[in-house]
Amino acid sequence: MNRIRYAAALFILAAVPGAYLARAQQNAPQQPQHRMTFFVTSVPIGNGGNLGGVAGADAHCQMLAEAVGAGKQTWHAYLSTQAKDGQPAINARDRIGTGPWYNAKGDMIAHDLGDLHGDTIEQARLGSNLNKLTALTEKGEIVPGLDDNPDPKDRTWAYASTHPNSNRHEMLTGSQPDGRAYTDNVDHTCGNWTIGTGEIHAYYTGEPGAQIGFSDRNGGGNGNWNSSHPTMGCSQEALVRTHGVGQFYCFAPN
Amino acid sequence: MPIKRIFAVFVPVLLVASCLALAQDGEQPNAQKHPITFFVTSVGIGNGGNLGGLAGADAHCLALATAVGAGNHTWRAYLSTQAKNGQPAINARDRIGDGPWFNARGLQIAKGQADLEGDTLELARLGSNLFKQSALTENGKVVNGAGDTPNTHDMLTGSQTDGRAYTDSADHTCNNWTSNSTGSAQLGHSDRTGGGNHSWNSAHASKGCSQADLVSTGGAGLFYCFAIN
Repeated sequence: MNRIRYAAALFILAAVPGAYLARAQQNAPQQPQHRMTFFVTSVPIGNGGNLGGVAGADAHCQMLAEAVGAGKQTWHAYLSTQAKDGQPAINARDRIGTGPWYNAKGDMIAHDLGDLHGDTIEQARLGSNLNKLTALTEKGEIVPGLDDNPDPKDRTWAYASTHPNSNRHEMLTGSQPDGRAYTDNVDHTCGNWTIGTGEIHAYYTGEPGAQIGFSDRNGGGNGNWNSSHPTMGCSQEALVRTHGVGQFYCFAPN
Repeated sequence: MPIKRIFAVFVPVLLVASCLALAQDGEQPNAQKHPITFFVTSVGIGNGGNLGGLAGADAHCLALATAVGAGNHTWRAYLSTQAKNGQPAINARDRIGDGPWFNARGLQIAKGQADLEGDTLELARLGSNLFKQSALTENGKVVNGAGDTPNTHDMLTGSQTDGRAYTDSADHTCNNWTSNSTGSAQLGHSDRTGGGNHSWNSAHASKGCSQADLVSTGGAGLFYCFAIN
């Protein structure tokens, strides 16, 4: 009896660490080697270009990060604001630290600000590692992009909000390709992210819109990640018309 | 009568609006179909980096184009060669005309050389319209990319990011597209994904020049073809 107990105890002692090691080894490749410092919001705020200002957008980043256990870092939305009412412009690129940044799976998105924005012509031609397979949500999910599950109705919020796999590759940035705010008199930031109304095509009559980039780098005649074209207005419906739902990039500057 | 008038205003507005919506997204209405002047070879030559030189690669482009009724153009493979044996280097960008170039669905890939190669900082940042969903074969099919099986996104180019030949002494062109064993070829990505960058024409080098080397790097010996006229 005692001998059996002894053998069983030995067996358990040997088996438990063995199983633990085996599991650790299995899990090891899936563990991010680097802490997540970049993600695309898995869900939009849902009020068009009204994000509650940059503060509201930052809070959205923080909330989503917290939900996946990454709330210890400070998160900033990649958004510019334009000079207005005596307030200076804010450049998206100045809000995100110096990198490198990693996604939820530990893939490096960009080495630094120069890589991310193409500060030299060689960097710009080469481009960063931000693409459809790396621009993941905080949950590590791919954001549906151009030609994913196309449907004639996918340019309406009624459809997009109920079909999470429809194309939604447009990320709000309000930025120029260099990551800086616009300096002209056109509103590229939906009133510094406070306007959530505006007819479709309002932008073409000079009314507010939001500059967007593509998380899948497909479309718009350029595939640019942070500054491809303006939205057609600031309402939720207007964003969807060109295949965006109001998502944006979040970076941890620290 | 008033209904007709409303229609007369409403219909053109809708048409313009829907054209704008489509154009915004990188899709173009079928009505504006341009003849094909750009494609990714649907198949490789199959002999690794030995394409039979530039002439062999150009002939492959023409054969594939002819098979889809586009043989009436002069087709050039987007490939550079390096200076060797007293022969000067040839730059891929100098072989393909001035553009604009359109894919099998009539979608514009690039307006011209400056757009395609990013000749200014602003153009380089913005990028051309060449990406996974637009870099189609002569048959109008999307080329498998990173995440697809098998991944065949590596495009032979032998070029630097500006579309010019390398000037160092290392082999970047599988011995000017005659080697299926030693050497290496510089590759771009038709899906602009992988290699830590976004480059369509100069992302990284192949492991070697055999067909197996090209396949194991993430390719099938495919390349870009452009019509110069």
